[in-house]
Amino acid sequence: MRFSGYNRYHCSVFASLCLCFAVGAALTRADEADVNSASRKWLCSLTDICTSESELLPGVHYDPARFESQRDCRLSCGKYGAIWPMPTGKECTISNDRVRFDPWKVRFHVVAPGEAATQFLRETNRLFVSNLLKECTRNCTLESSKQILVRATVANETLILDWATDESYALVVRTTETATFVDIQAGTVYGARHAFETLTNLVAGSVSNGLLMVSAANITDRPVYPHRGVLLDTARNFVPLKFLRSTLDAMAASKMNVLHWHVVDTHSFPLEITRVPEMQRYGAYSTSQTYSRQDALNLVKYARLRGIRILIEIDGPSHAGNGWQWGPAAGLGNMSVCLNQSPWRRFCVQPPCGQLNPLNDHMYAVMKEIFEDVAELGAPEETLHMGGDEVFLPCWNNTDEIRNGMRERGYDLSEQSFLRLWSQFHQKNLNAWDEINERMFPDIKEPKPVIIWSSHLTNPKYIEAYLPKERFIIQTWVDSSDALNRELLTRGYRLIVSTKNAWYLDHGFWGSTSYYNWRTVYSSGLPVTRNKDQVLGGEVCMWSEYVDQNSLESRIWPRAGAAAERLWSDPKSSAFLAQRRFYRYRERLLARGIHADAVTPHWCVLHEGMCL
Amino acid sequence: MSLAVSLRRALLALLSGAIFILTVLYWNQGATKVQAYNEALERPHNHRDGSAFPIPVEKSWTYKCESDRCLRVSHHGKSGKRVSFISCSMTCGDINIWPHPTHKSQLSQHTHSFSVEDVQLQVDTSHREVRRQLQLAFDWFLKDLRQIQRLDYGGSASESAASESSSKLRRHVDSQSPAATLFGATFGVRQAGDLSSLQIKISVHKSGDINFSLDNDESYQLSSSTEGHRLLVEITANSYFGARHGLSTLQQLIWFDDEDRLLHTYANSKVKDAPKFRYRGLMLDTSRHYFSVESIKRTIVAMGLSKLNRFHWHLTDAQSFPYISRHYPELAEHGAYSESETYTEQDVREVAEFAKIYGVQVIPEIDAPAHAGNGWDWGPKRGLGELAMCINQQPWSFYCGEPPCGQLNPKNNHTYLILQRLYEELLQQTGPTDLFHLGGDEVNLDCWAQYFNDTDLRGLWCDFMLQAMARLKLANNGVAPKYVAVWSSALTNTKCLPHSQFAVQVWGGSTWQENYDLLDNGYNVIFSHVDAWYLDCGFGSWRATGDAACAPYRTWQNVYKHRPWERMRLDKKHRKQVLGGEACMWTEQVDENQLDNRLWPRSAALAERLWSDPSDDHDIDIVPPDVFRRISLFRNRLVELGIRAEALFPKYCAQNPGECI
Repeated sequence: MRFSGYNRYHCSVFASLCLCFAVGAALTRADEADVNSASRKWLCSLTDICTSESELLPGVHYDPARFESQRDCRLSCGKYGAIWPMPTGKECTISNDRVRFDPWKVRFHVVAPGEAATQFLRETNRLFVSNLLKECTRNCTLESSKQILVRATVANETLILDWATDESYALVVRTTETATFVDIQAGTVYGARHAFETLTNLVAGSVSNGLLMVSAANITDRPVYPHRGVLLDTARNFVPLKFLRSTLDAMAASKMNVLHWHVVDTHSFPLEITRVPEMQRYGAYSTSQTYSRQDALNLVKYARLRGIRILIEIDGPSHAGNGWQWGPAAGLGNMSVCLNQSPWRRFCVQPPCGQLNPLNDHMYAVMKEIFEDVAELGAPEETLHMGGDEVFLPCWNNTDEIRNGMRERGYDLSEQSFLRLWSQFHQKNLNAWDEINERMFPDIKEPKPVIIWSSHLTNPKYIEAYLPKERFIIQTWVDSSDALNRELLTRGYRLIVSTKNAWYLDHGFWGSTSYYNWRTVYSSGLPVTRNKDQVLGGEVCMWSEYVDQNSLESRIWPRAGAAAERLWSDPKSSAFLAQRRFYRYRERLLARGIHADAVTPHWCVLHEGMCL
Repeated sequence: MSLAVSLRRALLALLSGAIFILTVLYWNQGATKVQAYNEALERPHNHRDGSAFPIPVEKSWTYKCESDRCLRVSHHGKSGKRVSFISCSMTCGDINIWPHPTHKSQLSQHTHSFSVEDVQLQVDTSHREVRRQLQLAFDWFLKDLRQIQRLDYGGSASESAASESSSKLRRHVDSQSPAATLFGATFGVRQAGDLSSLQIKISVHKSGDINFSLDNDESYQLSSSTEGHRLLVEITANSYFGARHGLSTLQQLIWFDDEDRLLHTYANSKVKDAPKFRYRGLMLDTSRHYFSVESIKRTIVAMGLSKLNRFHWHLTDAQSFPYISRHYPELAEHGAYSESETYTEQDVREVAEFAKIYGVQVIPEIDAPAHAGNGWDWGPKRGLGELAMCINQQPWSFYCGEPPCGQLNPKNNHTYLILQRLYEELLQQTGPTDLFHLGGDEVNLDCWAQYFNDTDLRGLWCDFMLQAMARLKLANNGVAPKYVAVWSSALTNTKCLPHSQFAVQVWGGSTWQENYDLLDNGYNVIFSHVDAWYLDCGFGSWRATGDAACAPYRTWQNVYKHRPWERMRLDKKHRKQVLGGEACMWTEQVDENQLDNRLWPRSAALAERLWSDPSDDHDIDIVPPDVFRRISLFRNRLVELGIRAEALFPKYCAQNPGECI
């Protein structure tokens, strides 16, 4: 009944290695002959639907090409085949012919200026092969595989990964009598790694041994937005490293390039700060639910090899508490206020409460040490997310220490005064960040902009008074109907967009929020503006109040992939036209070990066009 | 200055001494470990990919009990005895048994520690079958305990901790080092707690029945007492089923303490318990997506621990027919998604036998006449005529509720014969029963109208159900099961199905008139209200067009707060007609990758509603703090057993009971 036992069965019957080989070889040959004739029974319609010949739809025109399986058919059915996200260049042609090959026998030739870039590409090749192996449905080794020769040429030696990085690539596959040649041309190693990712999308497992690759293709591609991110909160619930890596794996498969690591919050402080070990000691849920310095460094490296930046957020002045409580004992005074106070509704928007004390200079000193650690973790060009959301003014206003401190400084207790205080918090931190960078990375001339959440402070009416647009990039998290994006754009601010009613992946499980399925995620466009550079891109947000490693993967994936296509391709076409590619994309995630959510009955995946 | 130097030297000497001792101990420990953990059977319900995360040790906190809740206190740099979260929780406030026992129960403050090796069973029953079944249940009980005791309570999640420089270690002297873990483990195994033995005596005298029935007496009593270094736990029940639940309760009276790395339990306890409802079900649809036997078993383990007692297996639907019938293998050949996505007869039998060990009855459903299509298309080829109509017909919205369409042919005798054989096989595999499910919902009359325009179509539907019932009777040795369940539908709103033979699983809205009508018409009912107990809701439409079938997501609080018999103000007579309730997991948007977290801990919320039916004098939306505390602990137990239950709230809230409400 089950195929996998087939070969083994023969071996045990004949109980002789020799015979086993002979039978194995015979079977392989039989398989190959099979593929070429009777078992090729899938067809692709002109409307981009793969159907088995026993179920052809009446009145639908089919291309004469025949394929051995649905997966095989999908490789080249429709303009973009199985490529996710869809390529954006002028060229995108994919042949209906296939070559059968053994992933172990792919040969690589890397042409890159500089040792670092060459090394990077070798790693890329290794990851590429390991991803190919995951596509294998049967035995992937072939005695007589067609030669696959991959040449990757990178023009620039830089390994800098930021919003200006050239991620474009061109990919050409052609097959001659003797071999299949894959030619990859890219500006940077990151473009090249995306090309390899696309190349895996041109490969599928076969019903017999080996893998199938399209025999010819010509693709040019570049992302529409340079910031394509996933926010992952590891403070509400801790996320083990293994699952951070699996998130990075899935992001890499989707050509996303920023992991916004919301590593700390009021609830816990799991990140090791070598300069201030108290943060983790007082803030982590447990000594094992932590990220050591080395863990973080390894993770940054792991991400980079997959074309992903890790952007660390140290949220403040709100969303900070546990981890900051050791001030009084150390003689540094209250660095945080309202900490874990109850009834929480008086002091914060979500329990536990906690907000930094903006009048305590020791707090700024500690913050600066945290920044130094963060600066050391990332690449020289990497910047910082300063948080800055949901400051609950009544917390400060209910704290005598702050009320008195403000009066001493000649402030009244009006909202405007509190906003000023709040903006000073960010300004002081920005100065600290600048100073650290000048010292640590003197080669980088321009001061780096930092990122901050939209809030009261980013109200268009007075944002310009508090947050200079040259230095602050605003990550907005408002509904799609909100005017904020437009108003900030007119004022010249750069934006990262996390549309709350489409890209908040935690919604639908608490309060009156609703779940956004992949179609909604996909359809959520980014704000349009004349100066395109102002919209850097967007992020889907995985807040972890109700998610830990047990459900993390299925909550994020495959929905984040829908956002990935929005950000990479910004398609004019609807989710409806993308669905079959999307289902295939989801299957690839599963093959790579990501427990992605199911989005439609299995029958509907197998019977395209029948569940409209 | 010199003092510091000599201090450092002394420390160094001490350290090297400690390393030597540890090395010696390590060898010893290796020997005992192999012996202790030698297991004959593999746990079948563990996740294959082993992605479970080691349960973290929380050395940085100690807990103290204040006004019935545990307060988290920093334990950094302190030398006194640390109280772990679990040990505090288990001895602070109300008892931590989920579902809550229905009679007054008492647990002593005093606790004992022991190792799983010290646990022994003594069965006191004159019924051979009961003895055998109890022995099996006990074996799995021990395996669960062993799993908890053996869990990799990860000392250092930081993967790099081992390779880190010594400077780091110095900074974290008070945090847990691998050596400390080893030390604890070694002594943990050596001094196997303060009990020399834990004897479990299970007495079942009254009934020797091990077949499921709604009349099973599921009550039990549990008491334990200490004599010297012996703890005696007595579980007394009238049937195997009651005793089985007693074992689930006992499992929840035992916890693993990460401080001394031993199992703990109470020195004295008294629990008296019986369920409020006898049908406490969970339905899984294995047709929209296939689920491996392994994942089904995992689900059953969690059901057993939460005392849910009916696994309603919605085996087939229009999408696929994964069951390989002995008499009609064509059904699966034509209807399964693939050869590997199937259940053999042996699989079903295995699941049923496994479920019985956990006190769970398997109730298979071959939905008919609607919700059947793929798999039924081979009739003409075999000369049996059309067994089903409208299979995969388009436009689907004319002929069925969701694609693909398909409805059995009510005028083909072969259709009934096949059903009869299927019933026969499934009854053989799942054992004698007084409850069976015939499906019977959402018939689309327009489908049939294409062929039988001249007939009274609703009458045809009714006749189909009566005929199916007749076939079930034949399949069941000429006896109709006392309760034959069908889904609520337009048909159950007429009185054509006699209420003396049919029970109705009500899946419509909880406020619909049909709820009252069905009870007035004399039907026994099982509630599965879509607005509370449909666990598949809230993930949007899975089709490109149209609205979501039901929204929003039913949170565990929604599941828990739903109490239709109260809201409907049922009188005594009508209340007796309520057999119980069932949560439904339809799987259009679920497959094996997220089954656990879609089901748990929400199904556990249902379990307490049906077992204990706690009264709620609280606000409609608010669940009492005690329930949060208990379900959080129960969720941890599920995770410990390898069931990937969803998080209830930020871990902060779990560590600080009551603070987030």
